[in-house]
Amino acid sequence: MNLKEIRNKIDHLDIELIALLHQRMEYALQAGKHKNAIFDPSREKTILDTVSSKGSALLESSFIIEVYRSVIGNSKKLQEKRLKLVGFQGEHGAWSEIAIQEFGYEMVPIPCFEFGDVFAGVAKKELDFGIVPVENSLEGSVNEVNDLLIGTELNIVGENIVPIHHNLLALPGSDHREIRTVYSHPQALAQCRAFLQRNRLEPRPFYDTAGAARWLRHEGPRTAGVIASALAADIHGLEIVKENIEDHPDNATRFVLLSERMETNGANKCTIAFSTKDRVGALLDVLRIFAEYKINLTRIESRPDRMYPGTFGFLLDLQGSPDDPLVSEALTRVKEMSVKFKNLGFYRESQR
Amino acid sequence: MRAIPPFSFPADLKIVEAETPAVSPIFPLIGIQHPLIDQEEGYTMTNLKLVALEQRERTIVTVGNVRFGDRFVIIAGPCSVESEEQMIQTAVAVKRAGADMLRGGAFKPRTSPYAFQGLGLQGLKILARARDATGLPFATEVLDTRDVSWVAEFADVIQIGARNMQNFSLLKEVGKLQKPVLLKRGMYSTLEEWLNCAEYVMNEGNPQVILCERGIRSFETYTRNTLDLSAVPAVKELSHLPVITDPTHGTGKVSLIEPMSLASVAAGADGVIVEVHRNPQEALSDKDQALTPEQFSEIVKKIRALESFGVGSRFFASQRWGRSSS
Repeated sequence: MNLKEIRNKIDHLDIELIALLHQRMEYALQAGKHKNAIFDPSREKTILDTVSSKGSALLESSFIIEVYRSVIGNSKKLQEKRLKLVGFQGEHGAWSEIAIQEFGYEMVPIPCFEFGDVFAGVAKKELDFGIVPVENSLEGSVNEVNDLLIGTELNIVGENIVPIHHNLLALPGSDHREIRTVYSHPQALAQCRAFLQRNRLEPRPFYDTAGAARWLRHEGPRTAGVIASALAADIHGLEIVKENIEDHPDNATRFVLLSERMETNGANKCTIAFSTKDRVGALLDVLRIFAEYKINLTRIESRPDRMYPGTFGFLLDLQGSPDDPLVSEALTRVKEMSVKFKNLGFYRESQR
Repeated sequence: MRAIPPFSFPADLKIVEAETPAVSPIFPLIGIQHPLIDQEEGYTMTNLKLVALEQRERTIVTVGNVRFGDRFVIIAGPCSVESEEQMIQTAVAVKRAGADMLRGGAFKPRTSPYAFQGLGLQGLKILARARDATGLPFATEVLDTRDVSWVAEFADVIQIGARNMQNFSLLKEVGKLQKPVLLKRGMYSTLEEWLNCAEYVMNEGNPQVILCERGIRSFETYTRNTLDLSAVPAVKELSHLPVITDPTHGTGKVSLIEPMSLASVAAGADGVIVEVHRNPQEALSDKDQALTPEQFSEIVKKIRALESFGVGSRFFASQRWGRSSS
């Protein structure tokens, strides 16, 4: 290896070390949700004993202990800050993580494997918030999330409509003309359907956009590409072959922020879940109430009830404030005529 | 006389005596009559089903705000995309001078394999940034069938260069696109061969073809090629497609670009494509024939003035029938 090659290796290791340290801090913050006292002397001693026993000629125990005292010290400082943890589905660089940035609180994105993990993490108070995509301007409803919303006890406390501009990513130095298969989240593949067909690329579903980018970087063949954000390209050092490959420039996804608690400050929008009796005009009667009270509906979604196939649950978004007595009255009347009814919460409408 | 297998030619072929003067430039040696030449009527070009003017309306190819076949279109830019800075500076300069559209090569067909071959994908990205910076659409050449769909992802107009005019697999590939194709005339090609190449593109389902006369090889060496301006009104007689000229490659001489650009307007062309470099002496290709932005600006002013006299594409647009004069 010449000097340049060695330095490349070192640079690469540094990026990985930083990523690992970041991940360690995330776990420390998550651990902080499980205990009352931040300082746990026996746990610290165990860690220091374990890591110092891994010493070698190059890494003296004293050096390892010094590094780890500094790492643990920083973890404790972070825990004391009581940062808000926000679960999102996918890995760093996912669109859900980008959606969190807009909320402006001191929010720490925490990757979760599945949408269900986001809901469960918030319900178990391991996470302060969760963020999930509800619908997309090209692909419509995100079915799994809508199903989870109908069944959840959590509240919607915010929404964010994020413009989604996908990129085709490839391994650095590879020939884009050799790409045959493209890996990404099924939603992203669907939003770029025309692009893939035009260029005769075969879509392959992956659990996450950014996760696919990480996979390509470490294990992927040179004939594979990935659809993900520019942030994911940056995180994993992939080349952007083509920007803005979504089938329409107005591609946007609406995300909602979930919480255990209600937060209705400045709210002007509401989401309800309900199901109606199986009779003629039952849904029409519900909708008529909103018309009578002059309440504007922004979305209605029906989903099959997976426990009782053949029956359906509805999700309905409406514009209205929790302080408006007419809104409360309308909701009470809807609740009375529904088999199941749940107010998922009032929140502020996204400005986009 | 050589025996001709009859199945290899159209059924209406006539084999004539050797002493009869051969009217075909294509088949002079074998002494047969050109299948598409009718002695009475002149050229009929019976193979042109989609390209021929016949009773069709003249085609207008729209690229953003640019309309080939309606208003005189001026396309300008460097021969090759060399760097982001060079491309964007040149793009801004030609826009200021009044260009309607950008050009720039990302894939270059060079005579020598050792000459600069273009920046490839990187060049396409730079062209897209130049478009974002100026709001002008761009045309760029594609050389390889494997690049066609990718170039189309970036470019507004796909150019088939003179050297690839009869690259039929490339023509079929761009025929599958839904983007306009700028088809240059091959340097050894007859009008008929050229129009048949347009027929290839249209036959695949892409009706948006713009023809470009860029000079043909002749015995003259003073100019790089001989810009065949008569091709412009001739194409207008034969076809409904818009036709532009390339005085840069057609002459290869900076001093001749202006007069030939103006002559193109008068001949009824629908536009010109010229090479402009922010500093021609630094250019990695075609530095002897690139205009400076200042020279280009002067030419644009004169073109616009001449255009206002009503010659040019509008003249032919009003003439529905090409051969109405007879």
